[in-house]
Amino acid sequence: MAVAEELRPGIAARVLGSPSLRLAGRRLLAAIPVLWGVTFLTYVVMNLLPGDAAQELLGANATPAEVHQLELQLHLNEPFWVRYGHWLAGVLHGNLGTSVVNGENVTTILGARLPLTAELLGYAFVASIVLAVGLGVLAARKPNGIADRFSIVVSMTGLSVAPYVLALVLIYIFAVRLQWFPAIGYTSPSVNLAENLKSLTLPAVAIGFPLFSVYTRLLRADIVEQMQREDYIVTARAKGVPPWRILLRHALPNSMFGLITLIGLNLGTLVGAVAIIEPIFSLPGVGAILIQSISDHDVPVVEGIVVVFAAVVVVANLLTDVLYTALDPRIRYERSAS
Amino acid sequence: MSAPLPELLAPDAAVKPVAARARARGGWARGLRLWLPAGFLLLMLGACFVWPNIYTLPNPVRGSVLEAGLPPLSPGHVFGTDPVGNDVFSRILYGGQISFEVGFAVTAIGLVVGGLLGIAAGYWGGAVDTIISRVLDVLIAFPALVLALVIAEGLGPSELHVIWALSVFSVPVYGRIARSATLALREQTFMLAARLSGTRGWRVMLRHIVPNITPQLMTFSLLGFGVVIILEGALSFLGFGIPLPEASWGSMIAQGQQTLSASPDLVLIPSAFLFATVVSLNLLGDALRERWAI
Repeated sequence: MAVAEELRPGIAARVLGSPSLRLAGRRLLAAIPVLWGVTFLTYVVMNLLPGDAAQELLGANATPAEVHQLELQLHLNEPFWVRYGHWLAGVLHGNLGTSVVNGENVTTILGARLPLTAELLGYAFVASIVLAVGLGVLAARKPNGIADRFSIVVSMTGLSVAPYVLALVLIYIFAVRLQWFPAIGYTSPSVNLAENLKSLTLPAVAIGFPLFSVYTRLLRADIVEQMQREDYIVTARAKGVPPWRILLRHALPNSMFGLITLIGLNLGTLVGAVAIIEPIFSLPGVGAILIQSISDHDVPVVEGIVVVFAAVVVVANLLTDVLYTALDPRIRYERSAS
Repeated sequence: MSAPLPELLAPDAAVKPVAARARARGGWARGLRLWLPAGFLLLMLGACFVWPNIYTLPNPVRGSVLEAGLPPLSPGHVFGTDPVGNDVFSRILYGGQISFEVGFAVTAIGLVVGGLLGIAAGYWGGAVDTIISRVLDVLIAFPALVLALVIAEGLGPSELHVIWALSVFSVPVYGRIARSATLALREQTFMLAARLSGTRGWRVMLRHIVPNITPQLMTFSLLGFGVVIILEGALSFLGFGIPLPEASWGSMIAQGQQTLSASPDLVLIPSAFLFATVVSLNLLGDALRERWAI
């Protein structure tokens, strides 16, 4: 480091020497075993548990000869390690394999269904984060005030409600009774953007409301703690900084760390929420096919979905690390000093 | 230091009632926050496990088609009947048994297995810690519901299999908490004293670490219990959990979904019980955490 600085490094060296990048690189290396473990575990569980894909596909009336024929065709007769080796080699070459059920390419299946799921999750995420920051700040402005009590009740509700219950109650109120939103179905954004957002609103609320509740609760607690404990708040008050400015410019940025960490951790669990919510609203996304593929023992498709979501989690955690360094100069300087 | 003096000299009567009243009100409200959810949970436990044994309920399965689709508050069927003629009230209570049984079992497995793994990792450190932590990391990074679905599907639908499937996700969570709580204890003086006096490792863990991390694990286990009930409902809702016709809140909600616009009560009644139970668990967890100042 010191030598490089003496030599007045060029852009490339400076980028490579950047503390946030090196931190990101280190975290990426640490994430590889976890990523591998997750996919390996899925493979083991999907393959070792009872249940026979060939038998499942042909139905109960198939003769043993037919089942054997199909097993040969799908390479199901090969030992576990050989199959896993084939699959892993394929993944490393960017090939996720083909569906056992209909022979379609897994990449094609995911490519067709991911945009919907990504849009749904993005919608739920952005809405829940924006609303959580808003309500969290309002609640922390005056602990035990009206906004605070409201935020406590709302977040306790969101923490305790099951997503499938929420989805059905939403359908009953807003689709069956009030008829504001469609109960099921999906309109592509290229056809009609307004209809598209309308068809995704109820599912996005069903996924986003529990997230919003967790975020609000965490953020409120963090801001209140900052406001009560930290010296820089006292200093700012003594200097005569207006209260709203203390809240938004001083306390809020310093309270974002817990929220960012939680968002990074949360992403992985969202595949579960998507798997429950998409079928309820008849949305042809990744979650709907995940449930179907698990029933069909369609290992390549399930593996493909797990790989994609695990990769998203790893990337999200990297982004949160980078965000830490952006938010808190202390982390930057500590790293470059060491 | 002179400020309190006038108050000390003042007649007791002038000061005391205010303070006493404030304390009494705080105590009363705080007591309510603890006992209201606790009372509801006890009531539910009694209704689900004791009531069916002392009072003859209609059979939760094999109902008569002649009584199908009765609305709530029908004679003999407080919550009405479902489209196959099963009494909804009785299915709520038997479904509640499943929810509580699965919740207890999964929480207990998580506490014991996860707790011991976490204590071992935190106390011994080194290679043991690395191995245990890595495995827990993988399990935590894993989308719990997907793994639970895969396991429940592979083993086939049954209450026991649901318990195994959900334990896979509860063990790592409790393991993590136990490990970090143990790490926080390791530097305490009494731990050093125990080690210096030559107490053996397993005895330190059982007699010194376990009692000290129990409150933290217990308050978390109430929140975890609620999550397990929601997840059991999710498995049954998707058809991977408790096999029909046996009653479970999740499968009742899934069945009610088909007649949502005609008879929403078939969805709303089990949903309300599910929600009330989980809310009570969460409120009780919060109240205990406040009381024990964790």
